[in-house]
Amino acid sequence: MITPRKIYTIVEETLLEGGRPVEPAARVALVAAVIPNPWHGQGFVEDLNPGIDETASAIGELLAPRVVEALGTTVEAYGKAAIVGLEGEIEHGSALIHTLKFGDHFRKAAYATTLLPAVEKRGPAGIVFDIPLKHITDATIRSHHQSIEVRLADAPHPGEIVIALAAAAQGRPQQRLAPLSTEQ
Amino acid sequence: MPSPSPSPEAGSAGIRKIIYYQEETFLENGQEPAVPAVRAAAAAVLANPWAGSGPSADLAAGSAGVAPQLARVLSDRLIGGLGGAESIEAFGKAAIVGTAGEIEHGAALIHTPYFGNLVREFLEGSSILCFADDRAEAGQPLVIPMWHKTAAATRSHYQTITTRIGDGPRADEIVIAAAASTGPRPHPRIGDRSTDPTVTSAVLEGATA
Repeated sequence: MITPRKIYTIVEETLLEGGRPVEPAARVALVAAVIPNPWHGQGFVEDLNPGIDETASAIGELLAPRVVEALGTTVEAYGKAAIVGLEGEIEHGSALIHTLKFGDHFRKAAYATTLLPAVEKRGPAGIVFDIPLKHITDATIRSHHQSIEVRLADAPHPGEIVIALAAAAQGRPQQRLAPLSTEQ
Repeated sequence: MPSPSPSPEAGSAGIRKIIYYQEETFLENGQEPAVPAVRAAAAAVLANPWAGSGPSADLAAGSAGVAPQLARVLSDRLIGGLGGAESIEAFGKAAIVGTAGEIEHGAALIHTPYFGNLVREFLEGSSILCFADDRAEAGQPLVIPMWHKTAAATRSHYQTITTRIGDGPRADEIVIAAAASTGPRPHPRIGDRSTDPTVTSAVLEGATA
């Protein structure tokens, strides 16, 4: 297993939205690991499968229990991210997160069934990115469509990849849109 | 791992959002730190209690009313996330005032006993809290300095953490943060006061500019 250089944990609590109290406070948690890009410095690698097999499941297994613990309560919405350093391909990040070997750890820990919404992006250390989150068992539940904005200081370096999971305890604060079914 | 529960005090301080941000370093320059440290910052964005007031407005009442609750809420997040006050070795604090406020408004919330004394008490320290402040738009990254909580001159513990609130502070808001670390920098090796030679401007003699 690759040793991450750093693991980041973020917990965001929203107590007021639209000038009104949010009760209980809305919670969204994120855990991110910054790891070496398994394909860094190798030129164009046609077959990514060996690197996926070495890394994807292990990183999913590392992050999933941590983000559930950081949230501290039942997960209702979730999402994931791969932020590739400037010397990598976006495909490298996608390779690590767009496989069941990665996502199944989070689905199991969160008692979830849907596919994880994702962001894949390449950028310098400290880049700001947004992780989309959707409901863990029904991606059409409109109240739970939301995102968390993240900036990790000092990551990713050019030869690294940030892999992140995000979890929300509820839908949007003050959510009040009609369900999708009312428009069908 | 942090799992802070919402504090009843938070609402009455006018806090809109609280962000807990933590970094655990496993490798630095390719090597595991001898003493692994976890650094964290807890930041709250709240309505500026003095929004719209003039430069001679008395800040004392607002400071006494709001700062203690901020100290409680932010210290709770750090203690919960870092495994107790006894795990914390270094600390610091910071303020970012929104563009419609005065720098003095941030100072009124972090530089009085109503904040500093309480954070020091909750985190079981004795040093003065080092600090940063700024006036900025929402989303400005905030570098918070830290030093040792009982021996501020301990060089191994000079460190920082950088955090931010994406949508704060709005013009009439303030971000107040407290930060803590459970140990030193990853590979501290620049000596200390006890090992330093005597250095004066004589070291520059004969040097070219």
